[in-house]
Amino acid sequence: MDFYLGLLQIIGVHTLLGLSAYVLLLTGQVSLAQAGFMAIGAYVSAMLTVLARWALLPSLLAGGAVAAVVACLVGFPALRVRGLMLVVATLAFGEAVRLFFFNFDYQIAMGGIRVGPLGGEGFRQIRYFPENGWTTFEVMLFIWMVVGAVMAALWWMDRSRAGAVLRAVGEDEVAAQSAGLNLTAVKVSAMTLGGFIGGVAGGLYAHYTTHIEQGNFNVLVATFAIAYPILGGLSNVFGTLAAVVFIQGFLIEGLRFLGDWRNLLFGALIVLAMNVRPSGLLDAKSMAKDLSALRRLLEAVRDGVATRWLIERLKDARAEARRLLAKWRGAFGA
Amino acid sequence: METIVDLLQSIADGLLFGATYSLIGIGFTLVFGVMHKINMAYAAASVAGAYAGLTLLELAALPGPMVILTACLAGAVFGLAIYYLCFRLIPLSHPLATLMSTVGMLLLVDEIVVHLTAGMPVNYPTVVRGMVSFGSFLLRGDLMFIFAVAVLTMAALMYLIYRTRLGLATRAVSQQPVAAQLCGMSLGQVNALTFTLTGALGGIAGALIGSAVGLLSPLLIAPLTVKGLIVTVIGGLGSIPGAIIAGLLVGAAENVFQFMRGVTERDIYVMLLLFVFLVFRPGGILGTDPARN
Amino acid sequence: MLELVDLSKHFGGVRAVDSVSLHVEMGEIYGLIGPNGSGKSTIVNLITGLIEPTSGRIVLDGRDVSGLATHQRVAHGIARTFQNIRLFGQLTVWQNLWVAENRDRQQRAQPVLPRWLWGSEADRERLGAALEFSGLGHKRDDLAADLSFGEQRRLELARALAAEPKLLLLDEPAAGMNVQEVEELDARIRRVRDTGVTVLLIEHHMELVMAVTDRIGVLNFGQKIAEGSPATVQNDAKVREAYLGTAA
Repeated sequence: MDFYLGLLQIIGVHTLLGLSAYVLLLTGQVSLAQAGFMAIGAYVSAMLTVLARWALLPSLLAGGAVAAVVACLVGFPALRVRGLMLVVATLAFGEAVRLFFFNFDYQIAMGGIRVGPLGGEGFRQIRYFPENGWTTFEVMLFIWMVVGAVMAALWWMDRSRAGAVLRAVGEDEVAAQSAGLNLTAVKVSAMTLGGFIGGVAGGLYAHYTTHIEQGNFNVLVATFAIAYPILGGLSNVFGTLAAVVFIQGFLIEGLRFLGDWRNLLFGALIVLAMNVRPSGLLDAKSMAKDLSALRRLLEAVRDGVATRWLIERLKDARAEARRLLAKWRGAFGA
Repeated sequence: METIVDLLQSIADGLLFGATYSLIGIGFTLVFGVMHKINMAYAAASVAGAYAGLTLLELAALPGPMVILTACLAGAVFGLAIYYLCFRLIPLSHPLATLMSTVGMLLLVDEIVVHLTAGMPVNYPTVVRGMVSFGSFLLRGDLMFIFAVAVLTMAALMYLIYRTRLGLATRAVSQQPVAAQLCGMSLGQVNALTFTLTGALGGIAGALIGSAVGLLSPLLIAPLTVKGLIVTVIGGLGSIPGAIIAGLLVGAAENVFQFMRGVTERDIYVMLLLFVFLVFRPGGILGTDPARN
Repeated sequence: MLELVDLSKHFGGVRAVDSVSLHVEMGEIYGLIGPNGSGKSTIVNLITGLIEPTSGRIVLDGRDVSGLATHQRVAHGIARTFQNIRLFGQLTVWQNLWVAENRDRQQRAQPVLPRWLWGSEADRERLGAALEFSGLGHKRDDLAADLSFGEQRRLELARALAAEPKLLLLDEPAAGMNVQEVEELDARIRRVRDTGVTVLLIEHHMELVMAVTDRIGVLNFGQKIAEGSPATVQNDAKVREAYLGTAA
């Protein structure tokens, strides 16, 4: 039972991580820095609860706030680099943050022992939950309340003018400027919001694992962060959630019998998914097309014309296969 | 006096080693120049090429220095494979998908290497030993050899690109893909050849790095990816001369930072170097002006 | 309303725009014509701020806007349409209008945050009216990418007007239109002017330009070579030479 609770906790935190990248992707900014913001939020909030004995919620918010401020500062120079250079710059920033914490020591003596972050060793004994009598179940519930709140806020934002503005900037910056939108304000705001969400994710992570170190916020994690919204599609927030559930739940845990080969499968899956469905494996619009196809099949069954319908579909499939084959042949020959 | 010599030593060693960074940077920048996309799996393929080269070497029982050749061949094959798996079939209208697929490929290659080597570092042949000394200032033989091979490779590449029809085709495609096609060039073929070429380059770079360090480990992949990308950006996306200069610069800077602040803090300063460039010269040292649109 | 003072833009050795001075009166429809490559599109991009001039000034309604960013110029009342339609294809028709913003006017009506988050009733009414005006009311929730070509052109225009401009720049709006569509465009341009907006029309379509404009400026190789009423310009020898290439 504890195992499944733990899994739900991971899914929750990673959903927040994915959402922090989602906001940025809407504006067209691909950021590999989200793991860095997560690290900042993790260390700050943990230091507040452990060293300054703050309550949990204010610490989480403070962690998010500090991450947001850093994100805002990063947002401005980020404007000067376009597209792929931004990927590199944010990757470098994320690594810089990780390396910073690798060298970061701040320990004080409390109750006879020294507590606090210690460079490569990391930050141990983040014992807020155990000390205050939280059960694993309660922790999981709390995490999901936060996730729920963030998802609701982003869902609502998506339907508001802000959502349209973010997507307009992401789609065509020149048109957006010419329509009167302030690109700097929009993009930096998105970066700040993404930083905040990432920071909160980090704070939750630090407290439920009770021990964090710089290796927890590396390039792989940064990759997961953007993988979720890309695989889940940018149509809405649920795509990201679905991608997290799929990857963490099904792939990593469900395929545990594959042992060490899981990660290999993860890489292969991504390559495959991007080739088969570039707009995102779990993208809402593509899935809608699939669902309506399914609906039509069921209607055909209901109307008793299933066989005829199936034959038509097989004919279509054969034509499609021929087309694909021609494309593949072209790929290898042309 | 001692310290100045040590400093000069760091710079010299760094410059010589930096030639390998230049090669990696060239690989990233060539692909970007032709396809306007980054192949995130490039450094991983280079290291994998070095591994494969070593295996081939042992299988064919060839002498040590030939590892550069076998790694080059292996790298070329991997480069072509990446092209087909990550670029060929994904439509241009989904740039995120291409990026993501190369990231997936990076993870895949990393995992495969870890599995096949059980995570243990592997010894790599050092081609040239010995050194030339000027008092307490040393020029390491192996580093000089690496530098020489790298320079030769770059020269060969420049020749290929600027003086052959293949190179002309590559440049034409990067500047005007539609017009190039209308002139009868097959986009797919040119791109495939570009990837094969950069793959070969990467294989050589991987072998050289392995020689310099004395061993290969999957742990090399992530830092090499980051540093390679930094070199590409500092040099200017799409600029080969820029990548060459930037590679040497990063190599030297890295060593100097290490000399001044130690290994653990070294990379932070390399990142800072990148940010300085991004703030003051986002187009890179020799890059083209960042386009307005 | 709009004044270009000695405006120049050089790209390396190429003088795309060479010391052009002109002014557009409030409420008039001013046409800008010239052969391909004469600098028309460059001038539009200079006026809206997408590129910076090498020298010269741009004055809008008495205010020098030469140093302002694009969105600030929109706030001061400049709006434009694009030659190759640049709609937000993945947004709905309604959303395309909704994001258009004239910060100045709207800020006076309502504070920033609520407007950014849920828009305002006044906005909804105004944009609803704009939708009806361009005949797209029934397509409100369709994706812009799914509209027909003619509908997309209408949406481009509606979006530009949604920013409540004082000056509207139309960049070759008649491109790709048939005769009937051009007639409708003519009527629409006049209706826009009747609402008090000044129009600067860049066009190749001669019949439209001659019919709808009050004055015309002619560019060739980045320089203004003639200016005046449609009749005057039509009879100008330099203009004929520029278009036909021979001394007539």
